[in-house]
Amino acid sequence: MRFKKIPEKIKSPAKQLLRWTYRKLASVTTSIYILSLMAVFYMIGTIFPQGASFSDYEKAGGKAIWFVASFDLLIFFSSPLFLCAALLLLTNLGICCYERYPSLFAKRVFPDKFEPTRSLKLTRHNDQSQTEVSKVLKDEMGFRLVSKDNTWIVMEKGLSRRRLTWLYHAGIILCFVGFIITWLFAFEGSITLKPGKAVEIAPKTTGNLSSLWQKKEPPTEWALILDGFQTEYVETAKLDYPKDKFSRLAIGLGWQLPRYEIKSDNLAPKDWKSSLRVARGVKTIAQKTIEINDPLKHDGYTFYQEGFEQRLKVRVGNNPIPLEVKADEELIVPGLDEPVKFGTVRTGRVTRLDGSVDKIKPYVMARSAGKSALKHEVKPERLDLHGSIELDGAFLTLVGFEESSVISYRYDPGVLVLWFSGIFVLITMTLRFYTGYYFLAYNIALSNGSVFLDVHVRASGLGADTDKLYKRMAHLLER
Amino acid sequence: MPTSELLSRDAYLLSIELRLFWLIAFIYCLSLVLFIFHLITRQNTAGRAGTTLLWIAAFLHIGLILFRTFEAGRAPFQTLFETLSWFACSVTLTWLYVSGKWKDVHLPGLVISGLALGASLYALFARSPAIDPLSPALDSWWFEWHVVLAFFSYAVFVVSAAIEMTYLLVKPMIRQGLTPYGFTDDMLEGFHKSAFRLVIFGYPLLTFAIFSGAAWANDAWGRFWSWDPKETWSLITWTVFTIYLHSMTIPRFKNLPASVINIIGFICMMMTFLGVNWLAKLLGIPSLHIYAV
Ligand code: HEM
Repeated sequence: MRFKKIPEKIKSPAKQLLRWTYRKLASVTTSIYILSLMAVFYMIGTIFPQGASFSDYEKAGGKAIWFVASFDLLIFFSSPLFLCAALLLLTNLGICCYERYPSLFAKRVFPDKFEPTRSLKLTRHNDQSQTEVSKVLKDEMGFRLVSKDNTWIVMEKGLSRRRLTWLYHAGIILCFVGFIITWLFAFEGSITLKPGKAVEIAPKTTGNLSSLWQKKEPPTEWALILDGFQTEYVETAKLDYPKDKFSRLAIGLGWQLPRYEIKSDNLAPKDWKSSLRVARGVKTIAQKTIEINDPLKHDGYTFYQEGFEQRLKVRVGNNPIPLEVKADEELIVPGLDEPVKFGTVRTGRVTRLDGSVDKIKPYVMARSAGKSALKHEVKPERLDLHGSIELDGAFLTLVGFEESSVISYRYDPGVLVLWFSGIFVLITMTLRFYTGYYFLAYNIALSNGSVFLDVHVRASGLGADTDKLYKRMAHLLER
Repeated sequence: MPTSELLSRDAYLLSIELRLFWLIAFIYCLSLVLFIFHLITRQNTAGRAGTTLLWIAAFLHIGLILFRTFEAGRAPFQTLFETLSWFACSVTLTWLYVSGKWKDVHLPGLVISGLALGASLYALFARSPAIDPLSPALDSWWFEWHVVLAFFSYAVFVVSAAIEMTYLLVKPMIRQGLTPYGFTDDMLEGFHKSAFRLVIFGYPLLTFAIFSGAAWANDAWGRFWSWDPKETWSLITWTVFTIYLHSMTIPRFKNLPASVINIIGFICMMMTFLGVNWLAKLLGIPSLHIYAV
């Protein structure tokens, strides 16, 4: 590859260093070294638990604390070291694209010396052959003329490799722009919505750039309202599958049979859905039922179904005031030595094993959470809505429950750039690798009284098939 | 159908599936033995027999995967048990397809049958074959494409690495004037080039797999990238294959260094699939399962 000539008189060491650095950063060899460094850095990030606190790391028996702290190994992907390496790769990529831009419009030249890869005998007279070959290659085979001298005529077919390679490298730069926009401006949070209550989004954080002048984003001028929430389950059967290897082999040999059995709490979550409304005052400005994998987008924000919360009302004995407890948490029941743990209230719709769909009669599994119960693996008991169970001598009644939807939100203007550039990279890369490109030089020569077509073909891309090309050429010329 | 009948039918179907899978693993094992024999004795008869067994195993394995699809009523690559089976089958099929061009070359079958057997035994001994419903986050159009393309690229990279290893083994012998394992001097470079062509085929697939994974994560969790070990290992694999493709454009790196990088790419791919936390364990670094940065 050629570099722009810098006048000889520039001798200052700083400029020479700059020139040397620039030349290094324009080379593919350097990109190999930088990419290798990135690969090693990524590996480091998989070895050390990212996002963990030092105390947790130390408590868990983590090694080389000093080293881990000095190089920010627990937040490695946002550490200055990693960001510098990423910036170096970006600079390398940028300079490479800049340096190769002029060559995209330069005429392709064949190497000075080459031997024909195939010689085809033509039946026509020399003069007619020229026009005939050119007609076949151009009109019937789709070749374009590139250059012509006294002996050789150069043609090409297919999308230019150089341009496609350049385009997807430029697309990767655009992906980096997307990452940078995300890093500068993105923020996120989560809210818990109760049905019917309007809530403004008041983020507790802001993007890395805006954090220079504000601690958090201002609240939105519109509010989010939960119009309804529903959970969906599927009924499952548990496979009784042996743990030891010999029994597994025995099943393979047909000596044992696997078995499915129905457990008392046999519902697996299928989906959670929230009917959301965005309102300014009394006016609805957007509306959607979101579920996992299908968020709502509004005003730059995207709202995701993250989960849900349940508050259970449990009456103990005849006490008229019920106790409140969150699902999956423990309740201290007056009069009982040990706390009671409640699971998630199963409610909503269920798809049964036979494919039918039912409304669930709400219930929750409850068990004593004391040490002895855990030790003896006491099975949880099913407590229906408005039903009662006896646990360690106490009568517990589930008198009701409330559900709220947990919605996470994110503001990330980088995503759009990233999607656009990602799709662009994929398309150009696929065209570069999968389609065929032919670069061909030919001449028509007279030898021993016969007319020969000497061809040299260079092909690239998985779609290129030189043998097929020769065959087609021979067939068309014969005709 | 009453639930109890439904469950005994499912248990029966599963028992048939497991017996078939064990049979396939046994055939992979036989072909591996034949390929080892081929490696040691350099007899092509053993290699040919090994390849024939691989064809039989692949044929049965396609049947097994179709059977599982019917049994589960969904695409059969959502648990590790299923993806291991899919991996073994796709690797074998890809090699058998590629080997069509190299009729009397059998040595890469050694790596292929070894991996297919390893994946099958890991699934059969260590994973549960239960057909459980998908967790809500996995129930996505993006997820299916993500897995299909990722595994397609894995199969292609495995075969490329097997060719690369064969090339590194055979080349010195050819230099000494021998014609081992069905190779002749004039076909060796063409054979080696197919390793490069396979990477060229797999690279956009892996790129799309990473892209679709990010798109899916963005829809499901609102973050297109969270640097969790699996994601990061896929990025390492992608980076290593980028290095390989760059090396192939530089004459100094084109031969041995590029071959070694291709094999490293394959190792990274296996780490992405199965061993994301292995390095941390090896170095005694605790994994605290927190990956939000
Ligand atoms: C994330 C970063 C990068 C990716 C994913 C990437 C990807 C690729 C791939 C797949 C190829 C081989 C196929 C082809 O020729 O089209 C390639 C070739 C090339 N890359 Fe990169 N690359 C990256 C960074 C860079 C950088 C930093 C440079 C700057 C020196 C560079 C310069 C080149 C050049 C000059 C070629 C050779 C093209 C040819 O043979 O005509 N790449 N790149």
